[in-house]
Amino acid sequence: MIRVLLHGAWRNFAGGAREVPLEARTLGEVLAALASAHPALKERLRDEHGRLRPHLALFVNDEDARLLGGEAAALKDGDIVHVIPALSGGTFDLTFAGGSTHKREGTT
Amino acid sequence: MTKTVTLLVGTKKGLFQLKSDADRKKWAVEGPYGAPAPIHHASFDPRDRSMYAAINSTWGGSRIEYSRDLGKTWTVSKNPAFPAGADRTFYQTWHIEPGHPKTPNVVWAGIEPAALFKSEDRGETWSLNTALDDQPSRAKWVPGFGGMGLHSIAIDAADPKFMQVGISVGGVYTSKDGGASWVQDNTQKGGPEDRPDVFGCIHKLLAHPKVSGVRFMRVHVDVFWRDPGETTWTFRTPGLPTNFGFAAAIHPRDPKTAWCIPLDDRKRTAVDGIAVYKTSDRGATWARHDAGLPKGAPLESLREGMDNDDFDEVGVYFGTANGDVYASRDEGRSWDRIAQYLPYVTSVHAATIG
Repeated sequence: MIRVLLHGAWRNFAGGAREVPLEARTLGEVLAALASAHPALKERLRDEHGRLRPHLALFVNDEDARLLGGEAAALKDGDIVHVIPALSGGTFDLTFAGGSTHKREGTT
Repeated sequence: MTKTVTLLVGTKKGLFQLKSDADRKKWAVEGPYGAPAPIHHASFDPRDRSMYAAINSTWGGSRIEYSRDLGKTWTVSKNPAFPAGADRTFYQTWHIEPGHPKTPNVVWAGIEPAALFKSEDRGETWSLNTALDDQPSRAKWVPGFGGMGLHSIAIDAADPKFMQVGISVGGVYTSKDGGASWVQDNTQKGGPEDRPDVFGCIHKLLAHPKVSGVRFMRVHVDVFWRDPGETTWTFRTPGLPTNFGFAAAIHPRDPKTAWCIPLDDRKRTAVDGIAVYKTSDRGATWARHDAGLPKGAPLESLREGMDNDDFDEVGVYFGTANGDVYASRDEGRSWDRIAQYLPYVTSVHAATIG
């Protein structure tokens, strides 16, 4: 079982639900199941071309999902997925230990 | 039924409703709804008393909501959407225009990136107007300072198939078949001849609600008038202090009367203090009206910032970037501030109810 925690504005699109328990193996499956459980979320999570909307931050446990493979990120029983309204703050670079650079746009 | 008026006031932090009775002296402020989302425009449909709001939210994407109970509760519509394979994505709604009384379920929406959407089910679902989207001249459209949006949808008083749209920056297109086909409609008469792109950046295009063929247009530079049967736009800037501005309104019955708020084209605020300019002769002359307005205040009113009600002595209203709303109960001659300390006002729509 995956625990999906909806934060801030995302609760408004899910009838006020703070937590949605789901069965899923990947983050992509979580999003599909979430939209199935709360249809109003479907157009809020993705645009008409199926792309995830900006200002949507997804975390698996304490890790930014983009660093885990995005929608392909594998999940295991007991994982917590956070759906968070990201605040805009321009563009900046995160430099990780070892020198790799991950460019993040539009989120802080 | 006694008539009342509700101002739908869109701000950068939600939708407010300012309500008054026929006297229009005391106003109750309700809201905001939808905060912190910016509300680019909200409108009232007198045909069925629906309300529509362009909620351009940062989170979850922009959406259109409608209310069937005069704003007590709201429902999210299915988003306007470009078809699969399109190179654009719905970003936000700039204007929602109820259709003609002869087309009772039709509502129009202008969006960014500039495109026209039509609803045939009172705003529940939306479909792209492909005839406008397929215009070869669309390749020449470019964003203005506020983005590239379709914001003006002017439907003729007598013929629901006769309509114009205004685009920033893309000019005017006219349809005589309800949107099945469009032609560019930018020929001016009497204005400066050294600005071939004068009609590129339309700021507000209004159709007279009672007299077929009458149009009033506020362009980035200059204002223009069109009388019934005309196919050009007549230059009507002389008499105004500047050739720039956004806010405009047209009288609900008199086809010769309109209002606008000129601004400095660089500062984007009023020159010599905020004032409303009124014409009673189709733009041939303009009179300044600032009684009751703060003297010398360099205020700003935006594209959707002005509207009028439908009372016998017409009420005119405008909102400002500093969060004020002003009302005139005598067709623009004198003014009262009816709300202050609202967030940045982006739109004012006057709903005459009853």
